[in-house]
Amino acid sequence: MPAKNKVKEGEIWSIGGGKGGTGKTFITSSLGTYLAKKGRQVVLVDMDIGGANLHTFFGISRPQKSLTSFFEMGASLSDLVVPTEMANLSLISGDIHSMASDKITFSQKLKLFRQIMKLNAQTVLVDLGAGSHNNTLDTFLIADKMIVVLAPEVIAIENMYHFIKNSLFRKVKKTLKEYGFKEIVQHIWDQRQSYGIVNLKELIDYLRESFSYIGTILDHELSSFQIHLVLNMVRNNQDIQLGASIKSVMMKYLGIPIHYSGYVEYNDAVWKSVRERKPFMLNYLATGCAKEIEVLAENLIKSADMDHFGAA
Amino acid sequence: MPKDDLKKLYDVLELPPNAPLRDVHNSFLRLKKLYSGESIVLEPLGEEFSEKKKKKVLEQIEEAYAKILAARNSEATKAEPLFTEGPPGEKIPEEVDPASVVYSGPRLKKARDAKNISLNEVSKELKLRLELLNNIEAERFETLPEAIYLKSQLRMYAAFLGLPPAKVADDYLARHRAWKEKTTPPKE
Repeated sequence: MPAKNKVKEGEIWSIGGGKGGTGKTFITSSLGTYLAKKGRQVVLVDMDIGGANLHTFFGISRPQKSLTSFFEMGASLSDLVVPTEMANLSLISGDIHSMASDKITFSQKLKLFRQIMKLNAQTVLVDLGAGSHNNTLDTFLIADKMIVVLAPEVIAIENMYHFIKNSLFRKVKKTLKEYGFKEIVQHIWDQRQSYGIVNLKELIDYLRESFSYIGTILDHELSSFQIHLVLNMVRNNQDIQLGASIKSVMMKYLGIPIHYSGYVEYNDAVWKSVRERKPFMLNYLATGCAKEIEVLAENLIKSADMDHFGAA
Repeated sequence: MPKDDLKKLYDVLELPPNAPLRDVHNSFLRLKKLYSGESIVLEPLGEEFSEKKKKKVLEQIEEAYAKILAARNSEATKAEPLFTEGPPGEKIPEEVDPASVVYSGPRLKKARDAKNISLNEVSKELKLRLELLNNIEAERFETLPEAIYLKSQLRMYAAFLGLPPAKVADDYLARHRAWKEKTTPPKE
């Protein structure tokens, strides 16, 4: 067997989900801390454009270096990595000026992705912040593991569906664009009424049935489109079981697999500290949900699932 | 049934092929509840997941459940025919024509005894209360749940014993109805 000289490149995990306030930053910092304690080299990247606060979770109130330097001064991403107090865990602070997501140019975006992939880490965790802007979706899609964080309430669920649907649509368009079929997809979608198509699943089904080669391409490319779901701020067993229901609905409605990776219970201390913008470490070590974070992180590593009843 | 077809049925119930019977049952109940009621998981999808679509999903779930139970049942009878426990020659007359069997409570008990399975084992495996199983076999109809719930419990128990689930449920519920119509519990 040939020896593998090449060191396996780091994995990128992106954490998004559409709605703000579901605890993406809390989950990002907690997962990062867990993985670092486990001995992995971890870099956290705060891509929450306009709402960056990951640094406050590590007791940094005014980051000296941030993504601002990357976007405005062309600094290289690897120069913006700063260590935290935790061994193995470093951080790239977000843009603390209120820059809008749509101000990022196409070439900046490509450069950013290239440099994220080259970061010297075993796991890069990218906190995406809220919203379903194309730049956010693209960042979500470059990841090896696409993670959505959800709070058990109807608006968050609605935003998450929107986020997942848009991600999938974008993935389908990008994939078919690479094969030269971009116009077909957009045309059919724009004229969907005359094709009798009401949703994304039907569009994909229509493409599969009408063009067998597109079907083959999609089967191949979409097999990697797997979402990992994290339920945050759960209060009871009913909340915990929402994960299994969402998994079922996404499969029966969009035909895409979702892993229900884990949940974290509602925690008053976290909520209060976030609201009061307390600049200290708010990750799981300070809040006593260590077991839940461990189960979640291990499930994410293995792409494993909770069972239907929320047991690991 | 071809393996691929069977796998598709398990996919509908969101289970790996040959999942334990109690998972088949639990999954069925869970999904049936999800797609027949109001849920904050379905509400945001609105017309994209219409009533019509929900109905179709429910039909698929019910079909998959029934077919899996039937396949399990035929497998169970093939691998381990009923009533082979007794000494040779001691034939049970009903075996000759299974269609003529009426599955009453005592008949279920007889089938279970013939397989040498205790009620405790059934209760543990199917996650059904021991008391309920006892009451089913003793036909203490006044203690049993509504027919709609009882039906799935009977089917589950029947499949476990390797008996035809639909026939067991039909026979038993017919007796249940007869009792109800008389409004006085039958004397055992």
